[in-house]
Amino acid sequence: MAERIPVARVGDIGDEEAIVVPRATAGTVDDIGVFFSAGVYSAIDNTCTHEEASLAEGWIEDGTVECPLHGSAFCLKDGTVTGPPAPRGVAVHRVDVDGDRILLTPDPSRLA
Amino acid sequence: MTAPASVVVVGGGIAGVTAARQLRAGGFSGTIRIVEAEPLCYDRPPLSKAAFVDGAGIESLAFATADEYAAAGIEVIAGVRAAGIRAGAVALADGRVLEAEGIVLATGARARPPAFPGGDLPAVGVLRDYADAMRLRAAASPGATAVVVGAGLVGAELASGLTELGARVVLVDPDPVPGARAFGDALAGHLHAMHAAHGVDVRVGAVVRAEAEGDRVAVRLDDGASVSADAVVVATGIEVDTSLAESAGVEVDRGIVVDDAGRTSLLGVWAVGDATRRRRPDGVLAPPDGHWETAELDGRAVAADILGAQPASRGAGWYWSDRYGVHVEVVGRLVGDGVEIVRRAGSGLPAAVLRLDEGMLVGAASIDDPNTVRAARRLIDRRVPVTAAELADPALSLRDLLRAAR
Repeated sequence: MAERIPVARVGDIGDEEAIVVPRATAGTVDDIGVFFSAGVYSAIDNTCTHEEASLAEGWIEDGTVECPLHGSAFCLKDGTVTGPPAPRGVAVHRVDVDGDRILLTPDPSRLA
Repeated sequence: MTAPASVVVVGGGIAGVTAARQLRAGGFSGTIRIVEAEPLCYDRPPLSKAAFVDGAGIESLAFATADEYAAAGIEVIAGVRAAGIRAGAVALADGRVLEAEGIVLATGARARPPAFPGGDLPAVGVLRDYADAMRLRAAASPGATAVVVGAGLVGAELASGLTELGARVVLVDPDPVPGARAFGDALAGHLHAMHAAHGVDVRVGAVVRAEAEGDRVAVRLDDGASVSADAVVVATGIEVDTSLAESAGVEVDRGIVVDDAGRTSLLGVWAVGDATRRRRPDGVLAPPDGHWETAELDGRAVAADILGAQPASRGAGWYWSDRYGVHVEVVGRLVGDGVEIVRRAGSGLPAAVLRLDEGMLVGAASIDDPNTVRAARRLIDRRVPVTAAELADPALSLRDLLRAAR
């Protein structure tokens, strides 16, 4: 079980915004985007599966992020592709809120 | 109309593959087959962008793996052309006949061939499919000279890619500011100036003829100049091959004529993507669009119609272009009625262009600021009233305007 990493405090991530947790911090093979959308925190691998782009820089709305390059859409809850051209989904990671701390638990299969 | 028991999609680009996948995703229980002349079904936009520069394998452009198609119950018949269609059947060039209660024509377009003498020389080509891209890439070794004819989206992206590969590029277009009719003068001028800034030799003019010069080719321009080149690529637009549709008696008018649901004039035959022209509800035929997202939405609309559902309504058209390390996005219209508002970056260069008409945003484009266009899309589609002062205020993001409207 990967350890829980404090990545932000409640209020740090604005409505429909995201932060990037670098792979070196998360100990994972990809950077992780931590999102706050439609009142819910979520975390996914941050690199689009289509071309090199940071999903946290994309358009975030109602539980979906659109890649800033070519508009591929990913469900923030389960990482699945909901709009092309991305060929496959992204890994999801666990996020807990403990008091005002936002804690990230990387998916063990994505540890470096 | 009950849903057909079998569907054959002719053409495996984004429009055809989307139609097939959305049919299955929507619960279609019959057979779905895609006929694709190329070795597999792959995405085209990267052919003038990242895949061209990287020399990516065709597999990396595939929409799905063989396993994924199998899991979805979609049979891909690749490497063979459809030779003819008639009600209920698609005949293949290898003699097979596929039963098809529903036929979706997704045959795309081909590049307009060179209009000048010598256009058939081996060193002169076009860019439409994977083989075209790799042929041109192979000729673009560092130090080689490539002539790009046409500075539209594909020509501009190729000029960028060829430059990145180390080739010397001569870009020829009769228009001093190509793209002005699509982007407006400010943005078109800025984007076109990037060519010269990256060392491209930009010529205003036209190619008169190409002549063999050993392995090379001499390209004569209409101002009397001659350019000795290793490769010439002609990117002057597309033309649609409607022969398959015509053979079945489908109405064609410089494109397969379809309605909003993608229905052709023939019951049981739908058409999607670059091969089509839409007849608007007022009866007017829309000009062909040719953009990727339009093709993708066409595929969704046809799948919905075959399933007996209402196709989703469409918003303003959207597309992108990647060149010289910048990402350009466009939504709606940037010319015509209304006023243009230019948002400038700290450098003073245009970062975004917005078009306001009668109190509504009607178009937007951005350079390396995609979320401005994503916000603009929603402002346009949700018909949020905006003012020129708001659009011109650099402290106010378009997302703020969208939030305020909620």
